[in-house]
Amino acid sequence: MANTLISDAPVIISMRGVTKTYPGVVALADADFDVRRGEIHGLVGKNGAGKSTLMGVLMGIRQPDAGVVTVDGSEIKHLTPQLMGNLGVAYVPQHVKMLNTLTVAENVLAGNLPKNGLGIVDWRAVYQDSQDRLGKLGLNIDVRKTVEGLSLAEQTMLAIAKALFSNARMIILDEPTAVLPRKDKNLLFGFVRSLKAQDVAFVYISHHLEEIFEICDRVTIMRDGRIIETRAVAEITVPELIRGMVGETVGEFQRDPSLTNEEVLRVDTLSRRGSYEEVSFSVRRGEVVGLCGLQGSGVGELAKALFGLERRGVGEVYIDGKPLTAETPREALDQGVAYLPDDRHKLGMVGLRPLRENVTYSVLERMTRGLGIVSRGTERPLVQGYIDKLGIVTPGQEQKANLLSGGNQQKVVFARLAATQPKVLMLHEPTQGVDVRAKVDIFNIVTDLSKQGVGIVIVSSEVRELVGLCDRILVMYQGKIIAEFTRANADMKPEDILLAIEGGAYAPAN
Amino acid sequence: MRQQIDWVGFVLNNFIWFVLLATLILFAIAIPDYFTFSNVVNILITASVLGVLVIGQSLVLIARKLDLSAEGTLSLVTVLAAYIMLPFRDFTAGQAGGNGWELNPVIVVPIILALGAFIGFINGVLIMQFKMNFFIVTLAMQLVLRGAALVISEGAIMPGTPDAFNWLGSGRLLDIIPVSVVTTLAMYLVFSYLMSSSRFGREVYAVGANEEAARAAGFNPTRTVIIVYTLSGLLAAFAGWMLLGRLTSSVPNLGAGYTLNVVAAAVIGGVSLKGGEGSIIGAFAGVLLLAMINNALNLMDVNPFWVNAVRGVIILIALIIDALKTRYKRRAPLVRPSASAPPLEPKRT
Amino acid sequence: MSQGVLNRLFSAIIDNLIWVFVVIAFIAFSLLSDAFLTPFSIGNILLRIATLGLLVLSQSYTFITGNFDLSVESTLAFVAMVAGLLLVSDVAGGLGIMLPINIVIPIMLVIGALIGLFNGFLITKVGVNNLIVTIAMLFILRGATYGISPGTSISFGGEEFAAFTWLGGGTLARFSFENVRGNLVIPVAGVFVILAFIIAYIHTRYTQFGRNMYAIGADAEVARASGINVDRTLIIVYMIAGVCAALAGLISAGRLQTATPTMGDGVIFSVHAAAIIGGMSIYGGRGNVLGAFGGVLLWSILDNGLNIMGVSPFWIEVSRGGLLLFSIAIDALRVRYQRRVALRQSLAESTIGLQDARAGA
Repeated sequence: MANTLISDAPVIISMRGVTKTYPGVVALADADFDVRRGEIHGLVGKNGAGKSTLMGVLMGIRQPDAGVVTVDGSEIKHLTPQLMGNLGVAYVPQHVKMLNTLTVAENVLAGNLPKNGLGIVDWRAVYQDSQDRLGKLGLNIDVRKTVEGLSLAEQTMLAIAKALFSNARMIILDEPTAVLPRKDKNLLFGFVRSLKAQDVAFVYISHHLEEIFEICDRVTIMRDGRIIETRAVAEITVPELIRGMVGETVGEFQRDPSLTNEEVLRVDTLSRRGSYEEVSFSVRRGEVVGLCGLQGSGVGELAKALFGLERRGVGEVYIDGKPLTAETPREALDQGVAYLPDDRHKLGMVGLRPLRENVTYSVLERMTRGLGIVSRGTERPLVQGYIDKLGIVTPGQEQKANLLSGGNQQKVVFARLAATQPKVLMLHEPTQGVDVRAKVDIFNIVTDLSKQGVGIVIVSSEVRELVGLCDRILVMYQGKIIAEFTRANADMKPEDILLAIEGGAYAPAN
Repeated sequence: MRQQIDWVGFVLNNFIWFVLLATLILFAIAIPDYFTFSNVVNILITASVLGVLVIGQSLVLIARKLDLSAEGTLSLVTVLAAYIMLPFRDFTAGQAGGNGWELNPVIVVPIILALGAFIGFINGVLIMQFKMNFFIVTLAMQLVLRGAALVISEGAIMPGTPDAFNWLGSGRLLDIIPVSVVTTLAMYLVFSYLMSSSRFGREVYAVGANEEAARAAGFNPTRTVIIVYTLSGLLAAFAGWMLLGRLTSSVPNLGAGYTLNVVAAAVIGGVSLKGGEGSIIGAFAGVLLLAMINNALNLMDVNPFWVNAVRGVIILIALIIDALKTRYKRRAPLVRPSASAPPLEPKRT
Repeated sequence: MSQGVLNRLFSAIIDNLIWVFVVIAFIAFSLLSDAFLTPFSIGNILLRIATLGLLVLSQSYTFITGNFDLSVESTLAFVAMVAGLLLVSDVAGGLGIMLPINIVIPIMLVIGALIGLFNGFLITKVGVNNLIVTIAMLFILRGATYGISPGTSISFGGEEFAAFTWLGGGTLARFSFENVRGNLVIPVAGVFVILAFIIAYIHTRYTQFGRNMYAIGADAEVARASGINVDRTLIIVYMIAGVCAALAGLISAGRLQTATPTMGDGVIFSVHAAAIIGGMSIYGGRGNVLGAFGGVLLWSILDNGLNIMGVSPFWIEVSRGGLLLFSIAIDALRVRYQRRVALRQSLAESTIGLQDARAGA
């Protein structure tokens, strides 16, 4: 692990050997990490690599199980958010939370407005003060505007400014550009650079590798909870970066292909303003196609749109040669399209209700007798069948869904969708929050379904899993499909795929 | 696999039945003549109108909404029915007749039921299609309905509704068993079965518990909620028919203050304000409990106005328990995370 | 005009729309009826704004923080009834202890504050929904008012109660004009309420506490993170609401010169409508107290004007419901518009899908 020093700037915060585990999961293992004054320190790694756990420790909301954290040279024994906040650590999330109905000025000075001699708020001073303070940072926003009326970039910059006003010395920027349009990004970068000149340090988390090279001084690569290395940006190449993120080991699971030649899904120049553009691809019966891309690339939106959860836009979609006219989830299910959501708590299952109901929600018509009465006699065996087939671990069919483990919850959602006997099944991050054993079960489910002739589309950021499961992988970037990898051509290499995903600009020529 | 029995949840959910039994025993011992046939019938009669309203409100609550206009529908329906059924008579000494149409109850009943359903339908459309806040919509609707009732009745009592109409509210089967009680019991059985065993029931529970997930699973929350509000309005009209039949006179401002008692009965019976939980049968237990307490206070000769306050306190306790129950069930963190903390679970993009 | 300026213009108009309506209503009724622009009618309006105004003030306080307080009308009645019991002889229906007025009035305010304290406590510390708690209190207090009231209504008619009824029924000044029939009576209550609103405006706009209220209404969690003591602020806000309700009770009792259990019954709808028409948002964090006063004015003008024109009071009730619905719709639309502005901006700047110029894509 080479830690190349790029400057002699003093270290603000450092960790050595920090480890954090949860039941069954090692989130962070033996991590060494530090941040120096005035540096922009990039942090890269796939989802689940441990970035948020690392940041959690920095912010004091996660207690390390082992290791040492020092700030300004002195060790911190007991981390708390207040303490780390006082020591100058601040966090700016992607979707900043501010007092939206109030003015910029009030947001800046919230809780502590300037008052005149009589003790009442001096509004002229409020506007002047806040304008001055922002001006000192080089930020020229109209302080009389309400935060609601600001652009997202301005809101992010304001959040950074607020952090600085609370004496932050180090600001963690969590993928700020994912939701920003291009020109605003430059605005943000200009601002960050000017602050760097004032000795403010940044930890810059991003999936856009070209940005890392554009703005960062050093970069730390994480994978599987470990710090792989920390190097000066000037001394590392993109391939090295990718290799660090992906690693050498291949995923263990390899699916038996069961391709046919019948096309079951065809998407033809689908476009939706602001989400995706001219997307065309097809899926055959029994084929598993992976779809990857960063936030903002359009993969998630595409999946939801095909299912009728969001507007589709213009373009054609065909299921088994027939046009897909579905505009609601109900219609999509009826026309043979099913979707496993990425957020099963919000969209996938109804946590308060029993497992049994959750499995049959989408197919109730099939088990209702006259007057819409649900036949338990039909329902129970159906549910039991899925419990057995998918290996769902539960004390019984009446168990409330939110009391099941993550992996079993996911299986319940699978069961619900499988019961609809879809022609096309779209899975969105199917293994998120799922333990290892259940993951294997899910891979087997996918295999079985493909053997039954279902066309499967998996939207995921787990490249290694996709390589094991898919016949083809499509990569999207900023709304367009920019790369395709095929098992048959033996070019499904995780590094290449990740390169295409995270540095669209660096996609290998296809 | 170890059976994970949620003991606390079980007791909380079925608490009402224990309480009901305990209260019955307490009153039977402490108050003379409480547990007599005629008094029990009395309790049931008082409970029947409220009971019908509670069915409707429970449906709405399970869908995670509230219907504040039901009592307004009841008021309007009773006034309107009297108005079109009674012969014309001048306004004297606070009493008046109808407008002289003297319509046959056979026509009037469907009219008022349809009106109730229509009002509920409008509520549902405003709330789901126009996405307006359910509290304010039903509150405003209440105002409009009460106003309309006052306009029609002009503040007068309209006595003397026809016997055919009164049968539901005042009639007796075999000279002993009140029709209203039997009807209400039957309705509870029907709706309880509907909610627990039909597709529609599942929809309502799913939509109330998690509207987004319900939509993604193929349900149509808009349609479900509109139907629920329509039913609530229909049932409110039905309750109006029953009540007017029992009173045989239309009284201005009828049903004022009912809503809270209705909501309380449902909540006491296990229906959660947060939606997605509770049973119609449980709500019935709540109705019985309130009716029993009412009756007991009456027999003990408590100042009728204090009864209201006592009921209010019971309601408040029920609501506090519901809030605590919700917190327990949904495991809401009692320690609030700071606004600037990163998400607790690693998110995938 | 740039988008930003256009937005602010739009916001400014929407936020102050109420005054436009007030002026329109005033002119309209003046034209529609001779009896409207008379000293008697104007004096009437000034009276009507009193009770309604204080209740709207209490609602405004809670609305700014994003909460409801529906119990205020019952607090009004309860407090007035308690005052009656304490002041009046047992022959006239009271308890017979006949406390001096300058003790009874503070007691009324304290009771109002305690009720507010109770509400605030349940909402912040126990976590019961604010809507539900205050609805429950609405009924509990009304029931209690009925419970403690004697069989007949209590009267404050005598000379000995002049000090008590001064705030609600007293006259500050009397003006007569040449050639105009009747005197313009300036009621104490009307002036008091106007003063109360001015003080409240200063409080909510010019004190840290007031701005904290807005912050909580905008986003309670962010407010908490900014160091604001959310729970304490909310409890105090509810206490203020309670005190305003108690003052409304005092004024009501003074104006009507009686205390009855039905005082203020049903007025909660008018209170909400006036507040929301005046720019308060049920979503919190928006609107200002002066706008709410505009709502009160509009409401009173409408009430007075329609009455003078002989419209049946029952129809007025119906139209009130309609007006409430209308104002809610405006509120919802306004909030949704504000939130959509930023979204539209970012969508407009998105580079995705530019090739496809087909509309609706």
